[in-house]
Formats: sequence, C-alpha cells, structure tokens
Amino acid sequence: MIRIFKYECRRLLWNKFFFGFFLVTLFYGWQILTNVTILGVSRTAPFSPWSFGDYLCRMIPLLWIGALFFLTFFHSARARRAAVLTNTAPAHPGKYAFARCAAAAAGTGLLMLAALAEAAVFYGGYFGWHNWKTLAQPAFISLAPPLIFALGSGWCLGKIKGWLLYIWMLVPFVCMALPLPEKLGIWNGSFFSEYPKTLGTLDPEFSLPAATAVFQGVILALGILLIVRGVAGKEQKRDR
Amino acid sequence: MKMKIHNVSMTYPGGKEALKEISLNLESPCLTGLLGPNGAGKSTLMKLLTAALLPTSGAIYMDGQPIIKNIQSLKAQLGYLPQDFGLFDELTVAQFLDYMAALKGLRDHKTAVEETIQAVSLEEKKTARIGTLSGGQRQRVGIAQALLGNPPFLIFDEPTVGLDPEERIHFRNLFSKTAQNRLVLLSTHIIEDVQSVCGQIIVMNQGRILFAGPPEKLIQKASGHVGVFFEKSFAQEDGLHITARVNTSQGIRCRAVADRLPAFARPEEPTLEDAYLYLISREVAK
Repeated sequence: MIRIFKYECRRLLWNKFFFGFFLVTLFYGWQILTNVTILGVSRTAPFSPWSFGDYLCRMIPLLWIGALFFLTFFHSARARRAAVLTNTAPAHPGKYAFARCAAAAAGTGLLMLAALAEAAVFYGGYFGWHNWKTLAQPAFISLAPPLIFALGSGWCLGKIKGWLLYIWMLVPFVCMALPLPEKLGIWNGSFFSEYPKTLGTLDPEFSLPAATAVFQGVILALGILLIVRGVAGKEQKRDR
Repeated sequence: MKMKIHNVSMTYPGGKEALKEISLNLESPCLTGLLGPNGAGKSTLMKLLTAALLPTSGAIYMDGQPIIKNIQSLKAQLGYLPQDFGLFDELTVAQFLDYMAALKGLRDHKTAVEETIQAVSLEEKKTARIGTLSGGQRQRVGIAQALLGNPPFLIFDEPTVGLDPEERIHFRNLFSKTAQNRLVLLSTHIIEDVQSVCGQIIVMNQGRILFAGPPEKLIQKASGHVGVFFEKSFAQEDGLHITARVNTSQGIRCRAVADRLPAFARPEEPTLEDAYLYLISREVAK
C-alpha cells in the first residue's frame, strides 16, 4: 500500500490546482500576518499564542477547503468510474481506502505546514523571534481538530454523494457568520481575540477554558472515528 | 478454471428484471463470445461474474465454490475490462499500470507492467499522461490493466469500442492467443470480432440465454432461413428481416432472414451474423 500512497500523493500534489492553492494559501497567510497579526490581538504581542492562534483561525477556512478538495479526487463522478477497475482488484478495501485517506491527510498536512512555516518566517524576519515551543499548543488546538474532522466527515459524505463535499466546504464560513457560544469560539475565530480580554491581565499567558478544550477534543475524536468508520466501511454499495 | 452459473436471476432495486433464471457452464481454456442486443443482460451477467453485483436468486460457483464466499479468491484470478470505466488522468500509462499492479499485489510488477504495455502496443505512450491519450489509447490502457499479472479468468465488456479496424484485428488475435490457456469471456456488438476467434458463443436477449454452443451450431440453426432477392417493392419485405441492402447494377440486392423464405428469395449460406439476427428476430416475433 506504500506504492498506492505514493501514487495518490502524486495525483493530489503534482497538479496545477495544488500549486495554485498552495500559492493562494501563502498569499492569504501573508496578508493576515502583515495586516492583522502584526498589530497583535487583544493587546498581546504579535508573536503571543493568542495572536498566533488568531492567525491560524483565520487560515482554517482555506485549509478546510483544501482538505475537502483532496477528497474530491476519490469521490467525484470521475473517481467512481475509475473505481469500477480498482474495485475488482484483490486489494483489501479498508487498507486501500486508508492509503488514499493518508494521502489526503498528507496533502492537508503540507498546506498546514506551509501556513506554520510562513508564520515562522514572519516572526523570525520581523521580530527576530524564535521561541516556537510556546506556539505548539495553540497550533494543535486550533488546527488538528477541525482538519481531522474535515477529513473524516468529508470522507463519509463523499461516499454518499461526491457533490456534498462542495457544500461541506462552506461550513467554516457558516460558522464565522453565526454567533457561536464562547466554547465554540475557535470555529468562528472569536476565541483568541475575545477570551484574553476576560482574563483581566495585560498579555496573559496562554490558557484554554475546560469547555473549549473538551469540545475540541470531542471534535478531534469524532474526526478520527469518522475516518476509521469511513475507510473501514464498504466502499461500494452493492445492488441488493 | 470452471465457472458455473446456476439458476441465476437478477432484479434491480428499481424492479427491472435483468436476468431470468439463467444457467451456464464455462471452462478454460475457452474464448466465449457473449452476444445480444442492448438491454439483453450481458453487462449484468458480467457484473455478477465479477461479484460487483449479487444475484437476486441462484448462485455462481468458481471451481465448485460459491463466489460469494470466495470474493477475494475470485478477484485474485480475475482480469476485468468494464464497458464504461475511468482512469487516473494525472498518472502516466506506466504509473497507472504500476498502481493497478500494486492493487493486484503483483510481486514482479515492473516486468508485468512492461509486458502488458508491449501486449497492447503502448510502448510509445508509456510515459504519456493518461489525460493526453485518445479514446482508443485509453481503451488499450483498460485492456492492459485487465491483462496485468496474466489472470486465469478474463472478462472483456465491449473491448474493441473506440479502436480502429487495425487495432481491432490486433486485439482479436491477442484475445485468441490469451484464451489458449485461460477462460476469456468477451461481450461485444461486433459479430465479426466473435466469428473469427470464439470457440463458444452465448446469445442473450431480454435476460435469457437463447443459445450457447459453438458458432457452427448457431449457423446451422439458420440454415434454410437466409435468402437474397432484388428489391422491387417494399411490400415484398413484409415478414422478412432484412440484414443487408446493397446497390448493384441490377438494382438493390437484399439479404433477409425469415422463418419461411418467400419463393422469390434465393436461399443462401448463412453467416454468423445472419444466424444471430435470425435467432433474435424469431425471439422478437414470439
């Protein structure tokens, strides 16, 4: 399955869309960093976990779309026509689906790394700041749950109907438009800009309310569960 | 390899009855041609043989074992070219075949890929992206993936669609050669493809098998039911099934099949096409 994974990575990452999307991600990220993050959010330093978290939250819609777009390679009408051939091969369907899902995760990871690397260049270049360890927690809590959930839910939706993936791409935008409760603040970007103000100190240390941590944990667990369920389930519905 | 189809019926969820209690035995080595008009049930039969569909009733056995309990074993021995299929346009021909070789679990995948590329005459295109290939070349990639790993059971659904006459002859010969030690099932509309290479013919219509046996026997069935005449008026053609019309210096020469030939028609030696059309027209008349 390693060969399948490599070929799937090649299909997903060696095309015009990926290069274009990669450049758009970098451009959009740089705009946020140089126009918003540079000012710092909630009266914290630009390189504080709060400002960094805010930057990542603004990047989530783009990364979410990227993750789901990778899945369209496996769930489009064209992919279903190719599945007529791949389904007759004796490979274990679960392992095959896992190799493909891993390729989509690799692509998503690459986009995520690009966003993180860009922030690293920005912080290093503008502020000579290199204390990355302090940013690991906001990075994990902001990116891992939504992107893994995007892959898991997207895989399951794509199996039902390929076009549902395109509708699912709108989820972060809907979240941004909704007045979500505080514990869901990471999903509409309000958490990193609003929560520090409630802590009552200037430039507070990074902390996460239990409700937000639990919610993000549930989303992460749900994403993993959906991936496992999606890749282990039947790939093709039989006509009986 | 032996495939036994026993009293198989297939009704789709929408209620369409595609196959009606068909029974059939296939045994290697043999190249079997599957003929029938659109909607006869050929593709459904092929999907059942690849376990892509499950029959509503009846069972299919591979070497005495029901395929439903041995799907992995069936897939390990199967090469399948469906009528309608897609390819990964982002990969090159060699990469796609290597991908399929990985899915088939072939150990010596490089040699297997090289051999199939050679067999389908795609050497010049092996590093070309599939998205840049013509329809005929894509069809050849489809045939190549079925041949990968020399599976003992091959199913080709309309394999010569989109191929030019020269390519068709090439593949006809390739299928014939392949069937020397394997079981090959070939579904087609092109009777010429079947006539020249198949040792056994199955004719299907409306979900039933009308004939299964060697081509000579099918031709014998039409003996005395094929005639030619020169067209004088359209009224002449009542009750006849015209299979060919040719303009000659003496007028339009018609070739027809009928249960009873009219006196003005001169009996002719039937071809496989005549015999097939006779069988189908008789079924339609019923």
